[in-house]
Amino acid sequence: MQFFLLLLALLLAAGPVAAQKVEAQVHTLDNGMKFLFVPRKGDPNVSAGWVARVGSVNERPGITGVAHLFEHMMFKGTHTIGTKDIDEDLRTIEQLDRVRAEIRAEEEALIEKHRRGLIDDPKDPKNRNDQHTARIEELNALLARQRELIVKDEFDRIYTSAGASGMNAGTTNDFTIYFINVPANKLELWYWLESDRLLNPVFREFYSERDVVHEERRLRVDSTPTGKIDEQYDAMFWQSSPYSWSVIGWPSDLEGLTREEALSFFDVYYAPNNLTAALVGDFETEEAIRLAEKYFGRLKPGKTKPEVVRTREIEQLAEKRLIAYAETRPKVRIRYHTVADAHADEPALLMLASLLNGRTGRLYKSLVLEQKVAADAGAAVNGMKFDGFFELIGVAREPNKPEDVEKALYAEVAVLADQLVGERELQKVKNQQMAGDFRRLQSKSSLMMQLLSHEALGEWENINRFSDRLQAVTPEDIRRVARKYFSEENRNVALYHPREKADAPAAGEQQ
Amino acid sequence: MKRRNFLALAAAGSQALFAAEGDIPLHPTDLKFPALDFEPPNPADYRHELPGGAVGYLVEDHQLPLVSVSLIVRTGAYLVAPEHTGLASMTGSQMRSGGTKSMSARDFDEESAFLATRISCGIGATSGRAAMSCLKQNLDVSLNMFFDMLRHPGFDPERLEISRARRLQGMQRRNDEISSIAGREYSRLMRGDHFSARSSTQATIESITPDLMRELQQKYFHPASFYFAVSGDFDTKEMIDRLGEYLTAQGWPAEKPEVPAVPAPTHKPTPGVYFVNKSGVNQSSVQIGQLGIARKNPDHIAVGIMNDILGGGGFVSRIMSRVRSDEGLAYSAGSSFSPGLYYPGTFTASFQSKNPTCAEASTIVLEEIAKMRETRPTDEELATSRNYAVEVFPRYFAVAGQVAGTFAADEYSGREKGYWEKYRDRVSAVSADDVQSVAQKYLKPEELAILAVGAEAEMLAGNPDKPQYGFRKLAEDGKINVIPLPDPMTMVYPEL
Repeated sequence: MQFFLLLLALLLAAGPVAAQKVEAQVHTLDNGMKFLFVPRKGDPNVSAGWVARVGSVNERPGITGVAHLFEHMMFKGTHTIGTKDIDEDLRTIEQLDRVRAEIRAEEEALIEKHRRGLIDDPKDPKNRNDQHTARIEELNALLARQRELIVKDEFDRIYTSAGASGMNAGTTNDFTIYFINVPANKLELWYWLESDRLLNPVFREFYSERDVVHEERRLRVDSTPTGKIDEQYDAMFWQSSPYSWSVIGWPSDLEGLTREEALSFFDVYYAPNNLTAALVGDFETEEAIRLAEKYFGRLKPGKTKPEVVRTREIEQLAEKRLIAYAETRPKVRIRYHTVADAHADEPALLMLASLLNGRTGRLYKSLVLEQKVAADAGAAVNGMKFDGFFELIGVAREPNKPEDVEKALYAEVAVLADQLVGERELQKVKNQQMAGDFRRLQSKSSLMMQLLSHEALGEWENINRFSDRLQAVTPEDIRRVARKYFSEENRNVALYHPREKADAPAAGEQQ
Repeated sequence: MKRRNFLALAAAGSQALFAAEGDIPLHPTDLKFPALDFEPPNPADYRHELPGGAVGYLVEDHQLPLVSVSLIVRTGAYLVAPEHTGLASMTGSQMRSGGTKSMSARDFDEESAFLATRISCGIGATSGRAAMSCLKQNLDVSLNMFFDMLRHPGFDPERLEISRARRLQGMQRRNDEISSIAGREYSRLMRGDHFSARSSTQATIESITPDLMRELQQKYFHPASFYFAVSGDFDTKEMIDRLGEYLTAQGWPAEKPEVPAVPAPTHKPTPGVYFVNKSGVNQSSVQIGQLGIARKNPDHIAVGIMNDILGGGGFVSRIMSRVRSDEGLAYSAGSSFSPGLYYPGTFTASFQSKNPTCAEASTIVLEEIAKMRETRPTDEELATSRNYAVEVFPRYFAVAGQVAGTFAADEYSGREKGYWEKYRDRVSAVSADDVQSVAQKYLKPEELAILAVGAEAEMLAGNPDKPQYGFRKLAEDGKINVIPLPDPMTMVYPEL
């Protein structure tokens, strides 16, 4: 395959009618791991990545945040990478686990005392008994010992030294993705390092990495003006679904997660039959398949099949409202339960959001330019693997209040449920969709990520099907979904009122 | 490249290092890779002088039916009087939002949206930028609109009012986020009253009129100030002709602009520990820094390698390794030592950590800065940093837009000729001694200012498990300089 896309028709200024297709060659190993190959000449580089079909949706109370913490641990090395003496290293890790468990028991006793009101702060060293203090000293000695055995960040160093760039990973509610760009002549290095960390991972430095994740939580959630409120809004919106907790996890769980819990997560969800890899760039497919067999063929299929996510969201019967005060602009978020990413209604919902968004979208024109009730306004669709929502967001233009914007947003939605959208207006968003498809293909790493996220939520072929489905949306489809989902009983509303000073700790803050 | 195992293998010439499993080497450094020949593109191959004194770099790429035209304009906020701070950025955004003389703001938006053509405009501190990206078959109409915006912006007063109201409302929120407070106050500490540290106020934003914006646009948006970067699905000769038609058409300013040089700051930061109190957060932001070097300084390549080892190289750098992976004190920690284009830049180490551990993390950063001066980097550190810079080099020229954009920006900022051609050799020539010597020359512990923004009391109290660390110990005589939060609309700082 010389060229990765086929232009099926020429586009016309009056309205593009073409579709582009991404063609990937698929190869599945005997152990179930799937590979997608899109060779593309150009600069001497390959964008490579793989996805595990696991995210926070696979967690349960007590281990929230483990999918994401696990992602961090995948950079900590293997039996070969990151250690001077693997046997001694593994012995130290075992001892660390034991001492950690003893400390955890002491900590839980202090939490219990705090629950009974006997102490103010379970983390204050003066509340610890001698046993507790001795264990902490033992732990510090073991950590010092471990540090002597570690080859620091060797995994990163090898990639960096080879000129690989943009190495990172990400965890979502539904999947975990690992990606990098490697120079074309060093593609085998990617196969070596990635298969090795799936074959022989060692979760060293587990507890300091757990602290890093807690700092990440403070950075992203706790110490931003609305982070904790946004998190509570999610928790309010989802009643029974595991989407109700955030990917980063609850603070109490982050403090209690153990290495064993992360390991058992690995055994189930990182088995090759739960993984897909994608390569986009300058390589020969035949050679890429040979290397896939050679390196990833070593992985053994999982013993346990990943559990199906059983708990579905229950039907919402009444409107829910959250009224918050924060150091932020006056804002309203209105969120409706909708459908999963793969659902037949999703394309119409996406086109509906496009009609509302942008400088020429209905919300900007009506709320910002004409009524001058809002400073900003927009809509978003979030279709996930098992469920989804549609959200309207408006920032009030003062002296208007969030409630004023709320009313104006309902009025716009009501028009969509009442009147058919005009052909030209719909064509405009289809044109943008089409051009956007081309723009997204300009970058190899973006194409690699799109392939993997489609694969994680359903199957990679949706990258092509989805464009066709969006182009096929009719004015009737838009009106139908507006009527179906935008009901009072189905909505959740968050009102953010500005609070001028943060002298008192915000509600819900962890002390 | 120069790893121990690789050398051992070459010496022994043995198969013993390979595992029994197929021919997979035991360690990835035993892998052998074919050579990769890469020569950077030559700017002269893409450079074209255009009518009116403009310059363009045109790079064809026919993979997708898209064309992108972007433009750097010799202008900037530094040319605006302090009492109109905010005028430059407003002019840039209103050129795009305010329609043109012949097209209303609404029609301009509707037409470009229907064509799926993206048009943007903005004016930053030391340059202006405008860009157009379209589907190939919409090129003519898209170029018409793009040049109409550059020549005949409408500056619709209603759009200005909407944008002004939005900016004033946003201004009220200036003291909400620790990261934005930290950015602003660090800039003031480093730059004093230099234009680069200036903030707009209610009065300066209210002073902006369509006439002032038009005056700025008329003065500087002249073909002689244009540096084009064009990439995508077009024919170079045809594109040159087309651009030429626009550049020679009526409507450009009659006068070729005299653009004054960017003024260098005269401020010298005062070392010490500075606090901005922001209660209600459980994590604070710390920046530690001093003045740095300009790009014309030939040491900047060695300084880049030195900073990479210290804190710029992500996980393999010393600051990240100690603050994050050893101690778990921050999600992200590192340093930057970007050379300034027109005057010395800054060296800045930064992180966010929970309030009680900010002092400990700061101490570690200061230790690493000192260590960088005291000892040479290890061979492994130096090799990693140099190899990365050399091996990642082709990525700088991965797509046509990058090639055109890099060369246009280089010419705009006066980067020395042949820079990229010699770049890898210059990087490879940096020795361990060079690294230590630039560390000693340019890292100045006695000049460092430490700025911490967050929950003051908790930061000062520190971590009860590690009483050896404290901010007062980092300050001379234990003195903490407290910077109050200013009134967000006037930027007047209250007396404490």
